[in-house]
Amino acid sequence: MAATPAVAAEKSMSGARVRTPRMRMRQTLDRILTYALLIFFSLFVLIPFAYMISTSLKTEDQLFIWPIRWIPDPIAWSNYPQAFIELSRIAPNLTFWRILANTLFITLLAMTAELIAVSLVAYGFARFQFPLRNTLFIILLSTMMLPGIVTLIPTFLIWRNLQLINTYDPLVTGIWLGGGAWAVFLLRQFLLTIPRDFEEAAYIDGANVLQVFVIIMLPLIKPALLALAVLIFQGNWNNFMGPLIYLNSVDKFPMVMALKFFQESLSKEAPKWHYMMAMSTVMAAPLLLLYFMAQRYFIEGLTIGGVKG
Amino acid sequence: MEAAIQSYWPTLVRWSLVGGALGAMMYLLNTGLQRIGVKRDIARGYAFVLPWIFGFLIFSLYPFVYSFYLSFTEYNIFQPPRWIGLDNYVRMFTSDRNFWPSLRLTMLYAFFNVPLGMIGALGVALLLNRNVRAIGFWRTLYYLPAVLPAAAVALLWRWMFSPSSGLINFFLQPFYALFNMQPLAWFTDPNLVLPAYVIMGMWGVFGANAVILLAGLKNIPRALYEAAQIDGAGTWAQFRFVTIPMLSPTLFYTLVTGIIGALQIFTQAFFITTPQRAGQFLNVLIYQEAFAFRHMGYASAMAWFLLAVILALTLLVIRSSALWVYYESEKG
Repeated sequence: MAATPAVAAEKSMSGARVRTPRMRMRQTLDRILTYALLIFFSLFVLIPFAYMISTSLKTEDQLFIWPIRWIPDPIAWSNYPQAFIELSRIAPNLTFWRILANTLFITLLAMTAELIAVSLVAYGFARFQFPLRNTLFIILLSTMMLPGIVTLIPTFLIWRNLQLINTYDPLVTGIWLGGGAWAVFLLRQFLLTIPRDFEEAAYIDGANVLQVFVIIMLPLIKPALLALAVLIFQGNWNNFMGPLIYLNSVDKFPMVMALKFFQESLSKEAPKWHYMMAMSTVMAAPLLLLYFMAQRYFIEGLTIGGVKG
Repeated sequence: MEAAIQSYWPTLVRWSLVGGALGAMMYLLNTGLQRIGVKRDIARGYAFVLPWIFGFLIFSLYPFVYSFYLSFTEYNIFQPPRWIGLDNYVRMFTSDRNFWPSLRLTMLYAFFNVPLGMIGALGVALLLNRNVRAIGFWRTLYYLPAVLPAAAVALLWRWMFSPSSGLINFFLQPFYALFNMQPLAWFTDPNLVLPAYVIMGMWGVFGANAVILLAGLKNIPRALYEAAQIDGAGTWAQFRFVTIPMLSPTLFYTLVTGIIGALQIFTQAFFITTPQRAGQFLNVLIYQEAFAFRHMGYASAMAWFLLAVILALTLLVIRSSALWVYYESEKG
């Protein structure tokens, strides 16, 4: 006890020399704490993931074993085909390949239309001076606040009057006009960071506006377009409300509706979690793959709206 | 396979036609306007934004106005709408037994989900900002839950919250034993539906926001921290007087998008079965009124109420932003 003031005095006297190892110690502790926290948080992310995959590989009798067995024994790879075989037993046309084709059809058409429309509109807002431009842009931004459910009923009535309920049109054709406001916003922000020099040089060389847009501009905004493509792909792949409202025939269902259909018809009384987790994994797999492949662009696209807006 | 093609090609044809027609209209607008003497820049500008103008008129403005009209009518699709004045709104606030619980659930969900998600995200972003090695790896990892389909996430968490054999109760087992209590029933107990949703909601939101906030943190000039250190600011003071103000535009963005998103939770509720109507969020209630019972007018009234709530909250946040959001460009 009595030594304490003396130690303190000594420390303050020799100041800088004593501080270096102490600071290094503190830094090391700091690092350890940082990584410990990072790992702790990532467990929160990873454990549910692991549980999904682990469940998808269990036989039915292993589902309820206590304590939980993380690595199934035996590993039931057959859950993956079996889930879809069970499904096509009650809906003969809804095979795995059909579901995949449906999902891809919706996703790719909607994505193509949205990317084209959105990049044209964003270019218009970013590069040309025209009356009411800023007013229109503010209106565009304010539509982001409009909940989808408000416009849903009249939009449904439009498609109903066109007699296009139970077709894919409401999910893909309308996209030509209804490109997401957030996507336009994001792309415009990106366009504003690109100098006009290239375009002006091309105009001097006699290119027309479409040539400039396609040959000069699109390659320059490729990173943003790729990021958007991933986000839009994800949005359409996962879109549940659209197919729920517009599609009635079971054989037109995309993956998410097939999952819902499975849950409602085959899994109501005794939930078949192993099959549902297998289907969920199948549904998530292309998204994860795409995300890993394009993540460099993806992160950029995700952050541009939030940081530079 | 033939049946499949039958359902694809008519849509494919219409999709191509609409796209082509739109392109043609843009071209005609551009050349037409220039021919009648409009300046080139103006003609091009209008031509390029034409898809959005059509989209806005057909899929935003018209539905917006029409649903407002419908909210004062009774409409079952088969007979023309019948004007009933404020009846829908009166019924919503006074006699509908489902409306208030649903509104309460939705608001409480947003009230917990948004701030908790933001705090979690900020914490992770601050951690990742500390010169962490392999930052790309961590960032990718934290973003993973946001990549998953909402439907898959909902099913997964419904399974994890399973009262008798789920993962959550497995982890909580020692805790239950310690306090000698019954395992919690989560989604199957009406009182625990909300906390279960909030916990599930955190999983997706905090990774996505963390990535955005991290980019915001990286944008803060180092010189500001150095200046603060010279002035004798400690860690907390630097956080309070440099990080928070400089990050406030990003926080503002995540707050606004968070509120708008949380109030519109929909897909998850379809994949999570809860007792009675304990998990009936506002969007789900509106969907059911409209498409299960064909009460299009009544559903429109509720949708408009949701819009009013979203607008009010957003305006409140925007108003308050003058007090706490710092924009560099404003003050030079």
